[in-house]
Amino acid sequence: MTDNGSGATADGSGATADGSGATADGSGATTDDPLLAVEGLRTTFETEAGDLVAVDGIDFTVERGETVCLVGESGSGKTVAVESLTGLIDQPPGRIEGSVRFRGAELTALPPKALRRHRGASIAYVFQNPQDALNHCYTVGWQLIEAIQVHEDVSDAAARARAIDLLDTVGVPDPAGRIDEYPHQFSGGEKQRVMIAMALVTEPDLLVADEPTTALDVTTQAGILQLLDDLKAEYGLGVLFVTHDLATVSQIADRVVVLYAGTVMERGPVVDVFERPAHPYTRALLACLPGRESDLDAVGGAERGGIAGSLPDPTAPPDGCRFAPRCAHAESACSTGDQPPEVAVGDGHRVSCIHYDPGDDPSALPDPTESAAEAERSSVESARQDVIGDE
Amino acid sequence: MGVAGYVALRVGWAAVVSVIIVTVTFGLLAAAPNPSVQQAATQAALEGGDPQEAVERERQLRGLDEPLHVRYLDFLTGVYTLEWGWSEYRSQPVTTALADAVLYTAQYSIPWTILTVLFGPLIGVYSAANMYTWRDHAATGFAFFGYAIPNFFFGIILLLIFGVWLEWIPIVFRTEVPAFSLANARQLAIPVFVLVTGSIGAIMRVSRNESAAFRNATFMKTAKAKGVSPLRAYAYHVMRPTLVPLSTTLVGQLLAIFLGSSLLVEVVFGIPGLGRLTFNALVAQDTNLVLGSTLLFTFLAVVGNLLEDLAFTVLDPRISYDDREL
Repeated sequence: MTDNGSGATADGSGATADGSGATADGSGATTDDPLLAVEGLRTTFETEAGDLVAVDGIDFTVERGETVCLVGESGSGKTVAVESLTGLIDQPPGRIEGSVRFRGAELTALPPKALRRHRGASIAYVFQNPQDALNHCYTVGWQLIEAIQVHEDVSDAAARARAIDLLDTVGVPDPAGRIDEYPHQFSGGEKQRVMIAMALVTEPDLLVADEPTTALDVTTQAGILQLLDDLKAEYGLGVLFVTHDLATVSQIADRVVVLYAGTVMERGPVVDVFERPAHPYTRALLACLPGRESDLDAVGGAERGGIAGSLPDPTAPPDGCRFAPRCAHAESACSTGDQPPEVAVGDGHRVSCIHYDPGDDPSALPDPTESAAEAERSSVESARQDVIGDE
Repeated sequence: MGVAGYVALRVGWAAVVSVIIVTVTFGLLAAAPNPSVQQAATQAALEGGDPQEAVERERQLRGLDEPLHVRYLDFLTGVYTLEWGWSEYRSQPVTTALADAVLYTAQYSIPWTILTVLFGPLIGVYSAANMYTWRDHAATGFAFFGYAIPNFFFGIILLLIFGVWLEWIPIVFRTEVPAFSLANARQLAIPVFVLVTGSIGAIMRVSRNESAAFRNATFMKTAKAKGVSPLRAYAYHVMRPTLVPLSTTLVGQLLAIFLGSSLLVEVVFGIPGLGRLTFNALVAQDTNLVLGSTLLFTFLAVVGNLLEDLAFTVLDPRISYDDREL
């Protein structure tokens, strides 16, 4: 981790969401470019109801040998964000803007053919639903060999031998015998192992895993997570892991990026974000975890039993903080302007919330009053204004 | 059981079906009054003879006095040894008349079927790949046009344009032209085109809608994420699964057009094929010939359904043969 020290950067003042925010090692660096550096990524879809903003200017980086988790509830834009990286989104109706640099080279400017050479070769994907992710008409071996031969001019026999090796690596029993079986003859967990093998065929540098364990049962999940962790170490992979499951995050992540409505709410090392969550949204998310309620009392969280309300309409995102309409700590200033700039509240720990000043402690979030937690937001805004004003 | 076992069972079942059909046909024939017996009785009455005696004589002559089971076995052997009787209208054995007609029908049916099977799914997948663009609308428009316009009417219009006005093709089919010649290809081009437009529409629409589901499947995203080119992704990952549901509708569609439209097209273009033969046999009340062509069409349907089932089983690897009912 090469993040900035907390007070050293421009912090609140200049760092807008699409600016230099994310990490200090970004734009200016000529040596040691991060494996993946995303800046101001914005993905919109043309719909009949108007432009739908799925990803609204996010930044993050992934280093080699590091697992970064994109966390957020369904519809927060995490899947669209990772699929935008290599243009897996159909364009049109999608439109991808911003900068995606892979080992320092800009991907968004590449023509389709050149981009295709990155897909599966240097950046590989594992998707959420293994039941549907393999083509039911072809054997597992055929699909693995296809993945190899798309990128490398190797003989069928050589490709097949490597496919068997890979199945062995990912822990499919009897790989030589099962390579000629069809996907329906594999269990869900085995299919996901095949998908991981397929992602590894050309030894990628970055593995994008989009909710790879969501469709699996708990014991299978543990096996897949262990496998990903082992492979990360063995191949020196950078892993970009998308999930809504915070329990998974706590097991595998090095760093966490919390997304809400297509924008970054909070980011930081996993320990910081889990132990000292700053943003009300992160706190609310963590409060949904079983056994976390008491922890949160310590940091002044009052959210219980899920987060009331639902994601804002992506065709007309609210002014100010995207989370303000559902936030127990919201005040009138939260609903003006754009998403607040990120400010540092720890080493590499940054939050997009007006309640924090640069260098603040993550526990600095003022308590919402008893009435504020329950009553309509509009009626309590003025009351809370006073509380804030005192500090 | 495995694939081979399933195939053997399914073929056996097709044979059983054909026997059932032949039996039902026999039952209908046996139950219906025989026109030649009626005719003999009328004739005898007109000529002052004994109608009853004439009926007996005629029945004996035609073997109708035999017990039912003997007649049934005779009929059955006749059908399966291709002794389908004498066609009075054609003054030749029924099998010869049918063989002659099949030769002409095959000349346009084989190219027509190949073109339909080839281009139907191709245009359908192309349409799905470009869904809701002008290309899709153009392909859909073409499909609906061919589907909606009656084949015989379309045939007449094209015959008028290319035969009468432009004089590019002969107005009446010339049987003296060798089967494999440019002249024959030219005179069959329009009938084949008419039939293809009629059949391709349904196939194209089914392929389009089936492949639309597959183009959005996660495995297409997997293929894209692997770096597979769009063309290859459609050719392998969409076309192949589309063929599975398509195989179940293809044969039925083709048979329906084969039985219905080919007769009209043969009449319009003057092709002496199966359709016209059947039609003329019906008009001439030539029972043996009608029976013969009906059996031929029936067998085609049985074989077609057999092929359809086998194709379906071979195309979809998820089907298990072990616990498969027929």
